[in-house]
Amino acid sequence: MGVQFNTLEREKRFQNPPKDKSAFPLLADAVLPHIGSFNALTEGPDGGLLNLAVKDIGSKTIFDTKDDTRSGNKLQIRVETVEVSKPLVPANDKLSINRKTLPSECRERMTTYRSKLMLKVTWSVNDGEEVSEIRDAGQLPVMLKTNRCHLEKLSPEELVNKKEESDELGGYFIVNGIEKIIRMLIVQRRNFPMAIIRGSFVNRGRAYSKYGIQIRCVRPDQSSQTNVLHYLNDGNVTFRFSWRKNEYLVPVVMILKALIETNDREIFDNIIGSDTSNSFLTDRLELLLRNYKSYNLYSKQETLAYLGDKFRVVFGVEANVSDVEVGKLVLQRIVLVHLDSNLDKFRLLTFMIRKLYSLVEGQCCPDNPDSVQNQEILLGGFLYGMIIKEKIEEYLQNFKLQVQSDLNRGIAVNFNDRKYISRVFMRINENIGQKLQYFLSTGNLVSQSGLDLQQVSGYTVVAEKINFHRFISHFRMVHRGSFFAELKTTTVRKLLPESWGFLCPVHTPDGSPCGLLNHLAHKCKISTEQSDVSRVPAVLANLGMLPPSTFAAGPNLCCVMLDGKIIGWTSHEQGQILATTLRYLKVEGSPDLPLDMEVGYIPPSAKGQYPGLYLFAGSARMMRPVKYLPLNKQDILGPFEQVYMNIAVTPAEIENNIHSHVEFSPTNILSILANLTPFSDFNQSPRNMYQCQMGKQTMGTPGVALVHRSDNKLYRLQTGQTPIVKAKLYDDYGFDNFPNGMNAVVAVISYTGYDMDDAMIINKSADERGFGYGTVYKVEKVDLSQSRRRGDPITQHFGFGEDEWPESWKEKLDADGLPLIGVQVQEGDPIVAYYDETSGKTKVKTYHSSEPGFIEEVKLLGDDNTDQECQQLTIKFRVTRQPIIGDKFSSRHGQKGVCSRKWPQIDMPFSETGIQPDVIINPHAFPSRMTIGMFVESLAGKAGALHGISQDSTPWKFSEDDTPADFFGEQLRQAGYNYHGNEPMYSGATGEELRADIYIGCVYYQRLRHMVNDKFQVRSTGPVNSLTMQPVKGRKRSGGIRVGEMERDALIGHGTAFLLQDRLLNCSDYTQSPICRSCGSILTTQTSVPRIGTMASVRCRNCSYKLETYVQKFGHVDDSEIWEDGQGRKFIGGEDTTTVAIPFVLKYLDSELSAMGIKMRYNVAAR
Amino acid sequence: MSSPQREGFSIPASISHAALGQVTNKSLGVRYNCAQCAASFSLSKNDAIRCKECGHRVIYKARTRRVVQFEAR
Repeated sequence: MGVQFNTLEREKRFQNPPKDKSAFPLLADAVLPHIGSFNALTEGPDGGLLNLAVKDIGSKTIFDTKDDTRSGNKLQIRVETVEVSKPLVPANDKLSINRKTLPSECRERMTTYRSKLMLKVTWSVNDGEEVSEIRDAGQLPVMLKTNRCHLEKLSPEELVNKKEESDELGGYFIVNGIEKIIRMLIVQRRNFPMAIIRGSFVNRGRAYSKYGIQIRCVRPDQSSQTNVLHYLNDGNVTFRFSWRKNEYLVPVVMILKALIETNDREIFDNIIGSDTSNSFLTDRLELLLRNYKSYNLYSKQETLAYLGDKFRVVFGVEANVSDVEVGKLVLQRIVLVHLDSNLDKFRLLTFMIRKLYSLVEGQCCPDNPDSVQNQEILLGGFLYGMIIKEKIEEYLQNFKLQVQSDLNRGIAVNFNDRKYISRVFMRINENIGQKLQYFLSTGNLVSQSGLDLQQVSGYTVVAEKINFHRFISHFRMVHRGSFFAELKTTTVRKLLPESWGFLCPVHTPDGSPCGLLNHLAHKCKISTEQSDVSRVPAVLANLGMLPPSTFAAGPNLCCVMLDGKIIGWTSHEQGQILATTLRYLKVEGSPDLPLDMEVGYIPPSAKGQYPGLYLFAGSARMMRPVKYLPLNKQDILGPFEQVYMNIAVTPAEIENNIHSHVEFSPTNILSILANLTPFSDFNQSPRNMYQCQMGKQTMGTPGVALVHRSDNKLYRLQTGQTPIVKAKLYDDYGFDNFPNGMNAVVAVISYTGYDMDDAMIINKSADERGFGYGTVYKVEKVDLSQSRRRGDPITQHFGFGEDEWPESWKEKLDADGLPLIGVQVQEGDPIVAYYDETSGKTKVKTYHSSEPGFIEEVKLLGDDNTDQECQQLTIKFRVTRQPIIGDKFSSRHGQKGVCSRKWPQIDMPFSETGIQPDVIINPHAFPSRMTIGMFVESLAGKAGALHGISQDSTPWKFSEDDTPADFFGEQLRQAGYNYHGNEPMYSGATGEELRADIYIGCVYYQRLRHMVNDKFQVRSTGPVNSLTMQPVKGRKRSGGIRVGEMERDALIGHGTAFLLQDRLLNCSDYTQSPICRSCGSILTTQTSVPRIGTMASVRCRNCSYKLETYVQKFGHVDDSEIWEDGQGRKFIGGEDTTTVAIPFVLKYLDSELSAMGIKMRYNVAAR
Repeated sequence: MSSPQREGFSIPASISHAALGQVTNKSLGVRYNCAQCAASFSLSKNDAIRCKECGHRVIYKARTRRVVQFEAR
């Protein structure tokens, strides 16, 4: 079959990276949604999304007077264009020959990969001549490999020269040296009115029902505004929107009347059309129109003025603008913002009202917001652009506020004076880049408007480079939003058939994020630009579509909608023909129809989805390639249309006149990682999920350019191999560049007793040959400037001072005070010496880890702008991690186990050919888990190893008639082995033949990063909490593990009272405390001060008398009865005390209770 | 706006200490390599962390010439 080892090619590719293009184009495709969306910010029609955004913001008007009666001079200020440069070294840097700042430098120096954001601000005074100035808005973090990155379009060879991986993907940001990505978020599909039944709608107010129509309208700059129509129980309809996190409700007829000059008749006709006999509709519409009469607004002008009056304050419009203009602004900013023309908005709004009535009537079903059919992906770049847009708007707002505060303070405001304007600029915070850096490093969204999103945090994640599986998965990950994570219902997590081919059914974590954190199927793409659909209406009109102005409405006719704009009407029969013709034409390659246009035809049905022909060609849609049968060409499908299509999975199942499409490969439904699980079609499905999890936790190869990285912690497998059994896609995605495990000879046998309960035995000699040998790289940053404030002079210098310091430091440290490269350090060894001027002493920082490490690298980091002496450096430690008992391993089938012994090779069983297993696992691992794929892999691996060939493990390659057992069995037979893969074996200890034949073969094993050395926790004695005297918790503080209630229950149940006593008291807070027998208190006892001739004794202060009181009462006192406390006060009595063993917290409890005025009395008696 | 900047000569902060006429400490004999151009050079105590050839701001410490030996077991 199709896979090969390609060892030589790989070697050559490493020696001489390609000079033209990457050998793995699929990798670049995998991150394209991120890169494409970022590129769209600055390129594309009208200068990219950022320039569209500043156009949408418009200009701010400012007057130079506080007086309400006259307006004064008018200043109109706007941002004309936005520009982002490429990352460069600061202009005041005179030394750097290379002016570019490269990502590798940012990783090493732990700085941000960012470039200058420049705003061209333009203003005019009293509508006079426009003046513009380019303002520096700070340093904007830039995504790697985009058009603002130096790495864009570099060949692998050039990338290697720039200290990157040869196939660097990009798609992430570098913030403070940490690689961050903006996660993709699932949001509602844009520009499509969705019918929703939601119980919480009732809470909106009195008479509100659960019915609503929701549409998420997206402006050309990708910012969105959601509009909702609510059905009121009396038949009325309200239009709801939220603006700056506040919700507003407007009667829908008011919006309709404000949009165009219309009358009740026209509204009636546009909603009802020819269905005048439907009394449900006519009744409600009559009521709708009649209710509106109470406002007494008839013309468009009146309505606009009314709206403008109400929203003037909300929108913060200056007094010089008329109410009508404000009303228009409301419509432009709020109502169906994806449409330009008011007539289009009117038509869509009437369509939505009709859909709402249909929903209420039960004519159509609600649309499922949890199905990918009604979803799209909010891409990182677009979100980034939305935030930049909002910050620019804030910037202009701040300009205005600054002028107003100048006015209030009585500072001379002169718009014509350039000096004044630049003074205002100086006073406001212009650093927009800083705000975006905050967003990226924390993932928190600081926003006035909330950006039409449901969460405020969790937008970014660290792109961890534990291994390549994990790294690449970050870019394919889509999240449903943290709002849904808290939801009690599990409907959002459900795997729906609609997701086929878009979201991977296997690749989702188990546990709390299950079903919310999905991964894109590997062939799924996200569109990042609007396709050209300008000629689509003309094509449709030629095909017989009626114009939108026709007398038509309702579900009896087929509405044709293009990106949320009604472009015409037609009959349902004609609609079906239109859809098929459109598809045929677009696949054929018509220049008027983009291939990635989604042709969603919803046929009329009884109580099904609201019918119509919905065309989508915008960005952020999920798309995937499928073969179109009539033309045998590739078609691009979206999730909206897929629901109503018949797509055969394999060519064999195509049926005439049923299927229009066929999958290119059934593996297209799986994510990249799920595709790598060998023979996953033979496994029980949860095991495949586990493998997707564990593949990402494997100690593998994070990359090759590790020298140029300064990650906190990096895991590296020293002996990575290419798997013998691998899927075709393994090679296509170039996973051989980042090996993730080792091929092992695995025997399934219960052999030593050490392989119980998912434990595995490793051959000691295999271990010594390097099986599973790994390394952990840890980086510690030493920053001396941390201890001083900015601007203060340097007081701490790396290196040794003139004072006295232990000579032993010199064993590990060089003359410059930095550690010798290659030296071994143990806990407590000095790793860096520095001289503190203020104390005049040389100090060292020490190595804090119980494991010895080796100094791998020391990097001296220069300061950002000033050329001062060294204050920052990073030290990379190499910690060797040979596999030890307790380390975790797993095959690629969700079969994880812990190493329980390293068994000497001489005692391992051997086969007739003398093969001894590297790994022994217990047969009991299989029956309940049903990972047959692992058996098949073992078989295939064995055959592959014997013949020296690589085996293809792509799922769904075999069938009932052509089983892998036969295919690989035949190969084994030819190599002279047992057809079924099991062999007679001999005991390593006795040399006797084992009674059963043993199943032995080659399985690819992964070493997981969970290692005992990071986890073990032991304690006999150690630190205790000072308040309770109980042991502290936490491995880091060498604390203990709590014996909790349930453990206690178990001990009680077993009757192990002494063990319980030992755990709960003796090993915890056992204390001996004095107690007063007569008053029964442990708080009032104290030790008396010993006097000459007497020993110190424990007395109860409560039961004793003060000397004076006693003398007054009883007269004579014997001197020997007097005792003295620490203050020299004399007492008599209180000698009836004894010692008891108590838990110390009891004392604490007692004192807390006494503070409340509750006395505890212990009755003690001798036994 | 009243600026705190006064006329007159102020010591430029960006010039390395050698140019300032200060006594530079003698180099400590430790070699360093530039992360960008791989130039090898030594630094004295108060030098700025810049490559002497290309001005790059990341500098690696070179491996010690001393014998580093462990018990390899």
